[in-house]
Amino acid sequence: MSQFFDRREFIKIGSGFLASSALVSAFPYLPFSDEAQAMVADKIVPSLCELCFWRCGIDGHVKDGKLFKISGHADHPLSNGKLCPRGTGGHGLLYDPNRLRTPLIRETHQGVQRFREASWDEAITLIAKRFDQIRDNGDLDKVAYFSHGFGASFFKRLFKAYGINLASAPSYAQCRGARDEAFTLTFGHAVGSPEGLDIANSKYLVLIGSHLGENMHNTAVQDFSNAVSAGCKVIAVDPRFSVAASKAERWLPIKPGTDLALLRSWIHVLLAEELYNRKFVQENCLGLEELRAGVADATPEATYAITGIDPETILAVARDMGRFGSSALVHPGRHVAWYGDDTQRERAIAILNALLGNYRQPGGLINQTQMYGVPNPYHFASSTRASTPFQSRFPLASEAPSNEVVDQTLAGNIKSWFIYGTNLVQTLGDQESTKKALGMLDFVVAIDVLPMEITGYADVVLPEVTYLERYDDLDDRVYRRPYVAIRQPVVAPLSHLDAKPGHEIAALLAEKWGLAGLFPPIEEYLDNRLRAAGTSLKVLKDKGVLVKEDPTLFRQPGEPLHFDTPSGKIELSSARLKSLGFDSTPQYQRQPENPAGYFRLIYGRVPMHTFGRTSNNRFLGELMPENELWINRITALDLGLKDNESVFLINQEGKKSISKIRLKLTERIRPDVVYMAHGFGQNDPRLEFAYRRGASANEMITHLSVDPIMGGTGFKNNFVTFSR
Amino acid sequence: MIETVTNKLNPQVLPHLQVWGWEVPVYLFCGGLAAGLLVISSGILITRNEANFSYTVRLSALLSPIVLSVGMFALFLDLAYKTHVWRFYTAFVPTSPMSWGSWLLMLFYPLAILQAVLLYEKQLESVGALKGLIGFFRPWKKLLAFVNVHIGSGIGVYTGILLATFYARPLWSNSVLGLVFLLSGMSSATALMLWMAPEEKKRFYSLVDMYLLSLEAFAITVLIIGGVTGSENSHLAMMNLITGNFAPWFWTVSLLGGILVPLSLETLETMGKVRFSPITPALVLVGGLSLRFILVFAGQANPTFF
Amino acid sequence: MSRERKYAMIIDTRRCVGCSACVFACKTENQVPEGFCRDWVVSITKGSFPNLSLVNRSERCQHCEDAPCVSNCPTEASHYQGDGTVQIDRDLCTGCKACMAACPYDARYIHPDGFADKCSFCSHRIKAGLATTACTQVCPTSALKLVDLNSNDGQAEALLRGREVKIDKPHAGTKPKLLWLL
Repeated sequence: MSQFFDRREFIKIGSGFLASSALVSAFPYLPFSDEAQAMVADKIVPSLCELCFWRCGIDGHVKDGKLFKISGHADHPLSNGKLCPRGTGGHGLLYDPNRLRTPLIRETHQGVQRFREASWDEAITLIAKRFDQIRDNGDLDKVAYFSHGFGASFFKRLFKAYGINLASAPSYAQCRGARDEAFTLTFGHAVGSPEGLDIANSKYLVLIGSHLGENMHNTAVQDFSNAVSAGCKVIAVDPRFSVAASKAERWLPIKPGTDLALLRSWIHVLLAEELYNRKFVQENCLGLEELRAGVADATPEATYAITGIDPETILAVARDMGRFGSSALVHPGRHVAWYGDDTQRERAIAILNALLGNYRQPGGLINQTQMYGVPNPYHFASSTRASTPFQSRFPLASEAPSNEVVDQTLAGNIKSWFIYGTNLVQTLGDQESTKKALGMLDFVVAIDVLPMEITGYADVVLPEVTYLERYDDLDDRVYRRPYVAIRQPVVAPLSHLDAKPGHEIAALLAEKWGLAGLFPPIEEYLDNRLRAAGTSLKVLKDKGVLVKEDPTLFRQPGEPLHFDTPSGKIELSSARLKSLGFDSTPQYQRQPENPAGYFRLIYGRVPMHTFGRTSNNRFLGELMPENELWINRITALDLGLKDNESVFLINQEGKKSISKIRLKLTERIRPDVVYMAHGFGQNDPRLEFAYRRGASANEMITHLSVDPIMGGTGFKNNFVTFSR
Repeated sequence: MIETVTNKLNPQVLPHLQVWGWEVPVYLFCGGLAAGLLVISSGILITRNEANFSYTVRLSALLSPIVLSVGMFALFLDLAYKTHVWRFYTAFVPTSPMSWGSWLLMLFYPLAILQAVLLYEKQLESVGALKGLIGFFRPWKKLLAFVNVHIGSGIGVYTGILLATFYARPLWSNSVLGLVFLLSGMSSATALMLWMAPEEKKRFYSLVDMYLLSLEAFAITVLIIGGVTGSENSHLAMMNLITGNFAPWFWTVSLLGGILVPLSLETLETMGKVRFSPITPALVLVGGLSLRFILVFAGQANPTFF
Repeated sequence: MSRERKYAMIIDTRRCVGCSACVFACKTENQVPEGFCRDWVVSITKGSFPNLSLVNRSERCQHCEDAPCVSNCPTEASHYQGDGTVQIDRDLCTGCKACMAACPYDARYIHPDGFADKCSFCSHRIKAGLATTACTQVCPTSALKLVDLNSNDGQAEALLRGREVKIDKPHAGTKPKLLWLL
C-alpha cells in the first residue's frame, strides 16, 4: 500500500451502514390479481430523469406510494413520450438496498480508520467549521468543487456565495470540452448539450466514433432513427462495427488514432475538387487559402497509408458530402477526449461542416440560443472574500480540467475537495494519481446516493435522496424547442433512510455559513421563479413541462450571419490558435502504435447503463450485469482465447485489472483493438451488486494524452493484453 | 459467420426447452407400463378362460391402476400450479392430447379397478358393498376385458402422441412415437409379468415379450429412419439423438441393454438353453424407463426448430 | 362492437437499435418477475470482418392465428381473445407446460406463481382504450407499432408500403402476427 494512504485509507467495509435489504426489496414487485394482469397506477407524476445527463421528461407511475414504472413524458421535447432503457430503471436506484443511509464521519478507532454514523447536524456543523477555518486562513482558493449532474446547481450557487471559485466538472476535460472549444474557435459558440444538430433532417450523416443507438441519448437516437428511416445515408467511421455502422451505407473501420488524417483528407478533396459551398464560404468564412495550404498534403492516397481507408472510399464520401451539401452533417461527437489531438480533430469537423454550408440549415448544425425564459429573482452578492479564479495552464481551457486539479493537489496547491455526485476514482483516468491526491488532502466531503468508491475516501459523506424523491432547480436550458421542466418528488423520500435532497443540504450549510436567505424553501423558490414567468409551481407540477417554439432556429433566406469569433466570421484558419503557438489549421500527428502483443483499448456505452452510475442498479443489471471484452474472433482464436472465457487485463504499464472480464469473440471489430463498455468492475464492496462484476476500463487508462490547447485528457492511447 | 446474441432471460426455454424433469418420463413410463399390464392381462382374459385363476394375470390387473397412480403422482409433482389440477376436468379440448389423456384416464381407472375387483372376487366378496357390484358385472367380464384392451392401447399410444404433437420439437414430432411407446409399454408389462409368473408359465410370457420386443425394435428403427430422412429439423434432431450427448445411453441402455440383450436371453431361456433369470425382465424395464428419459430429455435439449 | 379487431405488431428493423427499452418497459408494466421476460431482443450479425450486416429484432409472443399453444392446452387456459390476440386465463392454467413445448417461438415461461405467462399485447391497455402497448409506447426509435389489421385507418398499410416484410418460421403454419420490416 502506498505511503499516501497512511492518512486517508480507503474505507471498504461498511456493511453496518448499508440500508438493510430486509426493509425494502430491490424491486417493488407487488402482488397482483389474476384479473388485473398488470399494475395500474393510482398516481402518475411528471418529473425529470437523472440516470444520464440528457434529462428527459418522465412519468413516474406510483401505486400505494411505490414507484413501479417510469415512462417517457409525452410533452417533454427531449423524450416525446419515449424513454431509453436506463430511464425505465429509476426504481432500481430508488430501491437500491445499498443506498447510503445516514451521514458518515471518518474516525480513527484503535488505529483503524472507519466511518461512524452521524446526525445531519453533526456532519453539517463539522463541514461548516472546517471550511470556515479554511476561509479564515485565506485558503479558499485551495478548495476544489467537483460535480456531475443537475443537482449540483445548488452547491455551485452556495460556493459562489461563500467564495469558492474552483469548480470542475470531469465532463469537461474528459468528454465534451475539446468539442466545445473547437466549435467556439470556429463558429463562436459551443455545440451544447443536447447537441445543436438537426440530425432528424439530415440526408448524409457522417459519424466519427459516435455510436448512436448504443449511446442512448433519447432524442438523439429518436432523431437518428427518423433520419435513417427517411433514407439518410450514414457513414460510420469506427474501428468497431457499431449498431450505427449497421445502419450505414458505408462502414469505415479506421485505424484508431488516425481520424484527424481522414478528416483532413476530406477537407482536401472538398477544396481540391471545389465541392464546398462556395457562396457560403465566401460570405461567412475566413482563412480558406490558409486552410487549403494546411491540408495540401492530405491526399486520399497519402491518407490511405495512414488510416487504412482506401482512396476510392475517401474520395467517394467527400464527393457525396459535397453533393448533399447543406443537408450533410459531420457529427462532432460527445465524448471526444481520445488522443490529445482532440481540439484539432474537432476543429477539422467544424471546418468540414462550415465548408458544407450546413449552418442553421435543415439537416445541419443549428445554434440553440433560446431559453424558455424563467427569470431568477434571487440575486445574491458574491462573497467579498472570494478566492482568486483558477488559472489553468492550458490557454483555452474555459473550465478547470479535472486532472489539472488533481495535479495541483499533488503539487500541494489544493487542500480540500467537495465532491457532488461524481465517482472521481472511476471517472478520471490515471486512478493512481487521483488516489494519491485524495491521500494528500486535508478535508474531503462527498455527497452521493450510493456508496460509490469515492465516498470511501471522504472525511464526511452526506447521503442525498435520489432524483425521484426531490425537487431540483428548474430545467430551462437552451434548446431548439425552448422549455421549462420540473423535477419533483415522484414518491416521498424513503422513510428508513436519513438522506436529504441537495437543496436542503445546501441550505443547511448556507445557514451555518451565515448565508441564510440564499435558499428559500424550495417550493416557494420554484413558485416565485415560475410566477415571474407567468405560470406557477402548481401548473408545472401538473404538466411537468412547458414548451415554446423557436422560429429563429433555421436561417431565413438572405439572413446575414454573425459569428461570435474574434473576426465575426467562421474561422477556417484560427488566428487565435496561431497566436498561442498552435496550428492554425488542423495538422495530423502520429499516435503511439500498439506495443507488440497489445491491443488498443477502446470503450463505449451500452443502452442500459450510464457507465458506473447505473452498474449497481439491479433492475438494469438484469439484462446486463457485467461488461464483456470484444476481440476480433480470428485474432482471439490465433491466441488460443475462447469465447466467454474470463481473463484479467494488463495494460502497457503493467497495471493488472482487479477483476476478470468475459471475452466476446466477434467479427465486429478490427484485429488491433479491443472494446468494452465503460463503468463496470466497480471496486467498492458496499456496491454489493456491481462489486467486481466485469472489468473497469478506467482502471486500464493509466496514460492520459493531454490536449495542450484546453487540457482535455485523452483516454485512447492505452493498450492491454490478457492474463488467465 | 453468424453471431446471434439475445438478452432473453427465460431459462425454461433458453438455450433450449427445459420444462420437464424426471417427473414426466416417469409418468410416461408408468402410464405405458400400466397400459401394457391392462392390455396384456385383458387380452389373456379374453383368450384363455383359465386366466381368471392365474396369479400373474390377477396381480397384473391389480398392479395396472397402482402403477398408473405412481405415474399420475409424478405428473402431479410436475404441475407448476398444483391447486389447479382439477382444471383438467372442466374442459375437453379435442385438439389437445393432454386433454384426451386426462379424460381417458377417467375411463381407465374405474374399468381397470373393476376388472381387478372381479378377479379378486373371492377375497372381496366379504366386503358388503362390493358384493352387489361383483354380482352385477360378473357376466360382463369378457366384454369388460375387451373394452380394457382398447382403453389400455389408447393410454399406451397417448403417452407417445402427447409428445408427437409438439411440432416445435422436431425429435418428438414423429408419428411413430405413439407406436414406439405403446409397444415399449407392452413389452415392459410382459416383462414384469414374466418376472412375476410361476416357473411353468414363464415360457409363455417370454414368447410374448420376444414378439413385442421385436416389434418395438422394428418401430424404433422406423422412428430413426423417419427422423434421419425427414426435414432438416427432424434430421438434425434425430442425428442429435443417435450421435449426440444422449447417443451412448440410447444405444447401450435403451437399445442394446433394453431390447437386444433381453431378446437374446429370452430366446435362449425359451429354448431351455439357460434358466429363466429375473435379470432379463429387469433389463427390459430399465430399457423402457431409459427410453422415456432419453426421448424426453433429448427432445427438449434439441434447440427449437428453425 | 361492429367489427372484430385483429391486433398485430409491425417491427421496423431499420429503425431498431436493439436498446431493449421494450424489455424493461414490459417488465415494469406487467410486473414480470426477476429472471424472466415477455419480450427480448435478438441481434444477428452475419459475415466476416469487414463485410458485415447486423439485424436487431425485438421479439415476443406472435399471437398466432393458428396457435399451437391454444390447440395443445388441455384446459382452455390458452385461448383466442377475439381481437387477434392469444391470452392465458390464469384461473384455468395447471402449469402443465404443454403450451411451452408447443410454442415454436419459445415465447412462454412458467411464472413463479405457477401459471404459464407471456406477452399479452398489453391486453389491459387495449381494453382501457390505449393505442399502445408498454413496449410500443417506450420505443425510442418508434420501431414498434401495435396495429389493428382489420382497421381502415391505413396505419398498417402506411407502415408496410414498399417494405419487405418477414414473418418468423412461416413453415410452422402458425400464421404469426409479428411482422418485421427489413
